[in-house]
Amino acid sequence: MTPAGGPDGDSVALEDASAGLLRALGDTADPDLALLQLVRIAAAAPGRLRAFLGASAVPSEQAESLPDPWGMGRSPRAAVSRLLGVLGASSALGDELVRRPELLDVLDDETPGTAVDPADVRAELLRAVDADPASRTPVAGTDPTPPSEAGRRPVHPAERPPSYTDRLRRAYRARLLRIAATDVTAPEPQVVLPAVAAALADLAGAALEGALAIARAEQPDHAAGVRLAVVGMGKTGGRELNYISDVDVIYVVEPEEGVHEGHALRAGARLATALARVCSGTSAEPALWQVDAALRPEGKQGPLVRTLASHVAYYERWASTWEFQALLKSRHVAGDPDLGRAYREAVEPFVWQAVTRENFVEDARAMRKRVEDNVPSAEADRQIKLGTGGLRDVEFTVQLLQLVHGRTDPAIRSRTTLNALAALAGGGYVGREHAARMAEYYRFLRSLEHRIQLFRLRRTHLMPTTEADLRRLARGLGLPDANALDKRWRAVRREVRTLHEAVFYRPLLPATAQLSEDELSLAPEAAVARFAAAGYRDPAGAMRHVTALTEGVTRRAAIQRQLLPVLLGWFAQGADPDAGLLAFRRLSDELGSTPWYLRLLRDSEAAAARLAQVLASSRYLAEALARSPESVQWLAETASLEPRGAARLGAEADAMLTRATDAAAATVSLRALRRRELARTGVGEVLGLLDPVRATRAISDAADVLLAGALRVAEHLAREPAGIARGQEPARLLVVAMGRLGGQEMGYGSDADVMFVYEAVPGATERAASDYALAVAMNLRRLLSDVGPEPALPVDADLRPEGRSGPLVRSFASYVEYYERWSSPWEAQALLRARPLAGTLRPGSVTAPVPDAGPVAPGGAVAEGFGPGVAGGLSLAERFTELVDPLRYPSGGLDPATVREVRRIKARVESERLPRGVEPARHLKLGRGGVSDVEWTVQLLQLQHGADVPALRTPGTIAALSAAREAGLVDAADAAALRDAWVLASRLRSAIVLWSGRTTGAGVDVLPHDRMALSGIARLLGDVGTGAELEELYLRTARRARAVVERVFYGAE
Amino acid sequence: MDRQQEFVLRTVEERDIRFIRLWFTDVLGVLKSVAVAPAELESAFSEGIGFDGSAIEGLTRVYEADMIAKPDPTTFQVLPWRGDRHGTGRMFCDILTPDGEPSLADSRNVLKRALAKASDKGFTFYTHPEVEFYLFNQLTSPDEKLVPVDRGGYFDHLARGSTHDFRRAAITMLESMGISVEFSHHEAGPGQNEIDLRYADALTTADNLMTFRTVVKEVALEQGVFASFMPKPLPQEPGSGMHTHMSLFEDDRNAFHEPGAQFELSKTARQFIAGLLVHAGEITAITNQYVNSYKRLWGGQEAPSYVSWGHNNRSALVRVPMYKPGKGNSSRVEYRALDSAANPYLAFAVILAAGLKGIEAGYELPESTEDSVWELTDAERRALGITPLPHNLDEAIGLMEKSELVAETLGEHVFQYFLRNKRQEWDAYSAQVTPYELERFLQFL
Repeated sequence: MTPAGGPDGDSVALEDASAGLLRALGDTADPDLALLQLVRIAAAAPGRLRAFLGASAVPSEQAESLPDPWGMGRSPRAAVSRLLGVLGASSALGDELVRRPELLDVLDDETPGTAVDPADVRAELLRAVDADPASRTPVAGTDPTPPSEAGRRPVHPAERPPSYTDRLRRAYRARLLRIAATDVTAPEPQVVLPAVAAALADLAGAALEGALAIARAEQPDHAAGVRLAVVGMGKTGGRELNYISDVDVIYVVEPEEGVHEGHALRAGARLATALARVCSGTSAEPALWQVDAALRPEGKQGPLVRTLASHVAYYERWASTWEFQALLKSRHVAGDPDLGRAYREAVEPFVWQAVTRENFVEDARAMRKRVEDNVPSAEADRQIKLGTGGLRDVEFTVQLLQLVHGRTDPAIRSRTTLNALAALAGGGYVGREHAARMAEYYRFLRSLEHRIQLFRLRRTHLMPTTEADLRRLARGLGLPDANALDKRWRAVRREVRTLHEAVFYRPLLPATAQLSEDELSLAPEAAVARFAAAGYRDPAGAMRHVTALTEGVTRRAAIQRQLLPVLLGWFAQGADPDAGLLAFRRLSDELGSTPWYLRLLRDSEAAAARLAQVLASSRYLAEALARSPESVQWLAETASLEPRGAARLGAEADAMLTRATDAAAATVSLRALRRRELARTGVGEVLGLLDPVRATRAISDAADVLLAGALRVAEHLAREPAGIARGQEPARLLVVAMGRLGGQEMGYGSDADVMFVYEAVPGATERAASDYALAVAMNLRRLLSDVGPEPALPVDADLRPEGRSGPLVRSFASYVEYYERWSSPWEAQALLRARPLAGTLRPGSVTAPVPDAGPVAPGGAVAEGFGPGVAGGLSLAERFTELVDPLRYPSGGLDPATVREVRRIKARVESERLPRGVEPARHLKLGRGGVSDVEWTVQLLQLQHGADVPALRTPGTIAALSAAREAGLVDAADAAALRDAWVLASRLRSAIVLWSGRTTGAGVDVLPHDRMALSGIARLLGDVGTGAELEELYLRTARRARAVVERVFYGAE
Repeated sequence: MDRQQEFVLRTVEERDIRFIRLWFTDVLGVLKSVAVAPAELESAFSEGIGFDGSAIEGLTRVYEADMIAKPDPTTFQVLPWRGDRHGTGRMFCDILTPDGEPSLADSRNVLKRALAKASDKGFTFYTHPEVEFYLFNQLTSPDEKLVPVDRGGYFDHLARGSTHDFRRAAITMLESMGISVEFSHHEAGPGQNEIDLRYADALTTADNLMTFRTVVKEVALEQGVFASFMPKPLPQEPGSGMHTHMSLFEDDRNAFHEPGAQFELSKTARQFIAGLLVHAGEITAITNQYVNSYKRLWGGQEAPSYVSWGHNNRSALVRVPMYKPGKGNSSRVEYRALDSAANPYLAFAVILAAGLKGIEAGYELPESTEDSVWELTDAERRALGITPLPHNLDEAIGLMEKSELVAETLGEHVFQYFLRNKRQEWDAYSAQVTPYELERFLQFL
C-alpha cells in the first residue's frame, strides 16, 4: 500500500515520514479535523510547519524502537503526535495554532504539561507580564530581569505591543496547550486525569497571580500596604479544575502594619475588581474564565473583600452548614501566602466542627436535595455534572463522609475528591471496592467533561448530541464508537445513583452481614457518628436492629442484607428514622418468611421506598400495617391506595353480612373493614397521594359503611330475643348522621355523632315499636363501642333533642312535636349537618343469604334505600329532612335576638370547653381560629341565608363556605382565610394521630410544644417547612382566621 | 472549640476571672443574668447552660420550661465595676430550645431574624441611639418626693456638677467595655443627661444598650444617686426619649445617600421613611411599651406626637438631620418616638421591618412638614394628612393587634405574648386611683 494512486492515476510514492503522518492522523480523536487544521497551519506558516514536521525525519529514539507492522514507515516523533492529538481533540486550540504558529515551539518541547512545580508555572505567567516572580507582591511591568534572560517569554509580533492583559492570556493559553498535549497523548486518559486537573488548577492560580500583578500595576501606589490573599474554592481550591469553568474564589484583605483598615479594604476591593476584569473582561485576546466570588460571606450581597477577623466573625455567627462544606475546599492560590494560610487555619476548625452543629442532619438533607433538584429538566438527560448520578453526586458523598468522620480523623481531610476518597477507603470508612468503583466513575465522568470542554474551550457540562461530536469523544477516550460511549455513560450514571446509599449505609451493616470479603464494616465509633449524622437518635439501638435483621442464613436475611443499606437511607428521610427501623424489624419478624413480602421488597423499589417512608413517618400506620400485613401490598400499586368509595365498600360489607352466621364475628369483620380503610387513607395521605379534604371523606365513608352494616346486625340481635320474625319488625328506624360524620369530614379519631328516629309500622303498637327501636339503638351503640380485637367507633347521640337527658330514640311524631315547641338555636345549628345515613326495614338479614340492596350510598340521593315510603310515598328519611329543613334554613334568616344568642353560646363555649391549661391559640379544635371557629362562622351564614341560597344547604363545611363565597356572603379573602385555617387545622389533627399513633387523649387536638413532635408532624405533612415554621404557620393562619371570625361571626368592627 | 471561644477561655484564665455572667433579655427588654464558674464555661460554649425559662417574662410556654442559654463569645467583656482582682466577665446569650433551635421567644433572635431579612436584600442596618435618663438623689422611702440631682438645663455646664463626674465615670466604664460614646451632655430637664452611643450595626447597638443601662445604674449607685430610664418621671419636665439615628448600607456604601437629591436623600431613604410613617402607629406599642411612655409622647416639649417628617424639624416623628457636605456615609434618618425604656431588640426589629416594607412596596413619601406640628390646629393637621400616634397603651395595642407587619417581625409567639402582657398592664393601670384624682375630686365631689 505504500505506493498509493494519485489523482491522475499515477502512483505517488509517499515518503516514510508522510506515511507515518497519515497513520498518526488515524490515531487522533477526529482525523478529518486534524488534517484540516494541519492544512490551515501549513497555509498560515508553511516554513514553520515544514521545519516542525521536517524535524521528524530525524527519528527519535522512541519512534525507532516502535514496531512497524504495516510497513507504513516509522512512527512520527512525539512532537508530531502531540500536534496531531491536539488538533484532533480541540478545534479551539487548533485555531489558536493557526493564529499563532509560534506556539508550535511549545509542542516541540518534550517537557510534559503535568506534574510541573506550581512555582514554575507562577513564574512563567508573571514573567509574561514583566513582573518579578521573586517579589512577595509582584507588579506587572516592573520586572528587573534583562530581556536577554527572558528567553521563556512568548514571542509576539512587534508592530503593536499587546497589553499586559493580552500577554497574560497568551501565556495562559500556551501553558494550556502544553497541558492539553500531555492529556490527549496519554495512553489512558482516565489515569492522567488527576494530574491534568491539578495542572489546570495550578495554571489558574498562576493566572490569578498574574492578573493580580496587573491589577496592582493599575493602582497609583501599586496598592502598597494592602495584603490581599486569593483563596481558591470549589474545584480550584480542591486542585482538580476543569479546562473551562468558573474559578471560585474568596478574597481576604489585611492592612500592613500602620495602614488604616478602611483604606486597605477599599484598595483591596479595587484590586479584586481589577483582577476579575483582567481574567474575564473584554480584550483583544479571548477571556480566560469567569472569576466567581459568590461563595464569600453573605454571597453576592456581601462585601467583595473582608478582613480575616470579619470572615471569622461571619462564620461564627451567620454561616450555614453548606458554607462550611464549601470551605472544606478552600486553599490559598494567589496573593499573600501567609494571609492565605492564616485564613485556612482560621476557617478549618469550622469545617471539622460543622457536624456538631445543631441542624447538621437537616442541613445535610437539604444539601443533598439541592444536588438532586438543581437540574433544568430539559437538560437532565445530558447533564454530566448535576443531578443524581452526576459528578456533584460523587462529590457530595465524599464531602459528607469527610465532614462526618473528619472531625476525629485528620487523615481524611484532603481537599481533592480522589485523594479524599482514597483516604476514606484507607481509614476504613468506605469499602475498598466501593471506593474503587466510585473513583473509576468519577474519573470517567471528569474525563468526559474535560474532552467536551477541550473541543471548543467552552464551559459546558452537557453531553453533545451530534454523531460527529459523540464519535470524537468516544475515540478520544479509547472507546470504539458513539454507541459504546452512550452505553458506558448511562451505566455509570445509574451506578453512581445507587452508590451513595451503598457507600454511606452499607458499612453500617455488621461484618457478618457483608456480601463479600471486600465489604467493610465501620468501627463502632465511626458507625455511631454516621448513624447520628443520618438522623438516627439512638445509634446503638439502630445497630442492634440492623444486626438482628441481617443475621442468619434465611432467605429473608439474605434479601435484607441487600436491601437494608437503601432502606436505612429512606428511613433517614422520614420523620423518625429510629421508629421506622424498629417498625420495619417488627414487620419483618411478622412477615419475614412470606414469599410475596420478600418478592415485593426485592422487586419493587417503589414499594420498598414507600414502606420506608410510611414506617418512618407514622406510628399509627406502622401499627396498622403490622396489624394487617397484607396491606403492605398496596404500596406496590398506586391504584390500590385510592379510596375505595362508599358504594364499593358497601357492597363488600353487604357480601360479608350476607355470608355471616354469627353476629359477633360479623361485627368484628365490619370493624376490621373500617380499620383497613383508615390505614389505606393514612398511607395515601402520608405518601401525598390523597388531599386532606378527600381523606376526611374517605374516613367518613368507612364510618358510614360500618354504621349501616352494624345497624343490620343490631336489628338481628333485637329480633332474636323478642322472637320477631324477619320482615315483621314493629318499627322502622332511621340513623341520622350529625356533626363531622354528617358533614363527611371525619378525622382518624372522630366519634360518630348520630340521632335515632323510628316510626311504628301500621298495625304495631307504639309501645312495641319504641321497645324495638330502643333495643336496636342500644345494640348498635354497644356493637361499635365495645372493646374488641378491632378498633371501636364510639357512637355519640348527645346532639339529640334534650341532649343527654332526652330519650335515646324518638318517634318521628315526637320529633315533629318537639321541634314545633322547643327547638333552640344550638339545635337548629346542629341540624345543619344532619344527614340521613341508614334505615331499616329492608329485606335480608345477617343470618340468611337473602339478597340485599345494601346500605345507601352516602351522599347519594336520600330518597333511595330507606325502605318503603308511607304517607304520600315519602320515605322516613325524606320526611325527616322535610321536617328539619325549615328549622335549619329558616325563611327570612335569623332574627337579631337569635343571632345574639348564637354568638353568646359560642362565646361561652370558647371559655368553658377549652381544656384547662391549654393555650387557646394552640387548640386545633376549640382554640382561636381553629376548626370550631370556622365551622360556627359558616354555620351562622347557613342559618341566616340557607333559605335563600340553595347551595348553602349542605352538611359539609368547605362546600358551604364555597357556596357562601359564590353567593357573595363572605368576600374571597375572608373565605380563603377561613378555608386555610380549617384545612390546616384538620390536616394537623390527622397528622397528630398518624404521627403519634394515638387517636384519643389530651394531646390529639393540641399543636404540640415538643420540638421533636412538631418536626415529625411537619415532615409528615411534607409541605409546611420545619417544625418551627409549621408552628409559626399555624399560629399565623389561625390568627388571620380569627380576625375574620371576629368580624363575620361576632360582627365586631 | 473555635478561636473566639478559646480567646474567652484564655482571657478568663489570664485575668483570673472567677465568675462569668451570661446575659439575656426577656420580652420586655429586662436584663436577666445567670452566673457560671470558669470551669463550666467550656461546656457552656458547647452545650449551653440549661435553665428553667418558665419564670422569665414571655420567654417560654408553660410546657416548655427547659431552655438553653448559649453564650456568644464575640460579646465577651470584663465587667469593670466588679474590681480588678477576681473579676467578673459577661457574655450575651442566644436562647435555644432544648433541641438546639433558636427560641422563638428570644428577642435577640427576633432582631437577628429581621437583620437576616435585610441582609437578604443586601442591606446592613446601622443605628445610633441618643439615650436620655434622669439622675435622682437616693430615695430612703417610697413616699419621698423625687429630687433630681441638680437644677441644670440643656448643655448647661455646672460648676462642681455631680453629673459631670457621673458622666465621666460612666463613659470611662463604657469605653473600657468596648462601647464607644459619641457625645454626652446635660439635657433639658433637671438631673437629666444624654449619652449618645456611636454608630454600630443594630445587633451590636442593642447589646450595647443593655450594657449601657446596667453601667449607668451601677455608676449611679457608686456615686450615691440613682438613675432611671422611665420615659416620663416628672410631669413638668421633658421625658427621656431615645432618638435613634439609622441608616442602611449596601456593602460599604450608604444606601440613604444620593448627592444632589433633596436633603441628599436617596429613593431608598425616602421609601424607608415612608415605611416608618405608614407603620408608625402599629409599632408604637413596641417602641413605647409602657403606660408611662404615652405621658412622654403626649406631654409636649417637642415630643413627636404626630406622624410627620421633616428636615431639621424638632417636632417631627422622623427627622432628617442637617447634611454635612462631603460626608455621604453620614446620611441618616432619626426616629424620635422611641423611649429609653424600650426593648431595643424588638424596637430595632420593628422599625427596620417598617422601613424595609416601605422599600419593598415602594411607598410614596408625603411632603415634609416644616412647621412645628404642635402649633397646627387639628383641622390643619387633618388637612395635611397628619395623623396622631396612639394616645395611650390601649390604643397602641389595638393598632398592633391588627398589624401583619409586627406579627411577622416578632413571630407569632412573641407577638401574642407581648399583646397579652400589655393588655394586663393596661388593665392594672386602669384600675388605679391616682393621687391626681384624689386631689382633684375627693373633696370636690
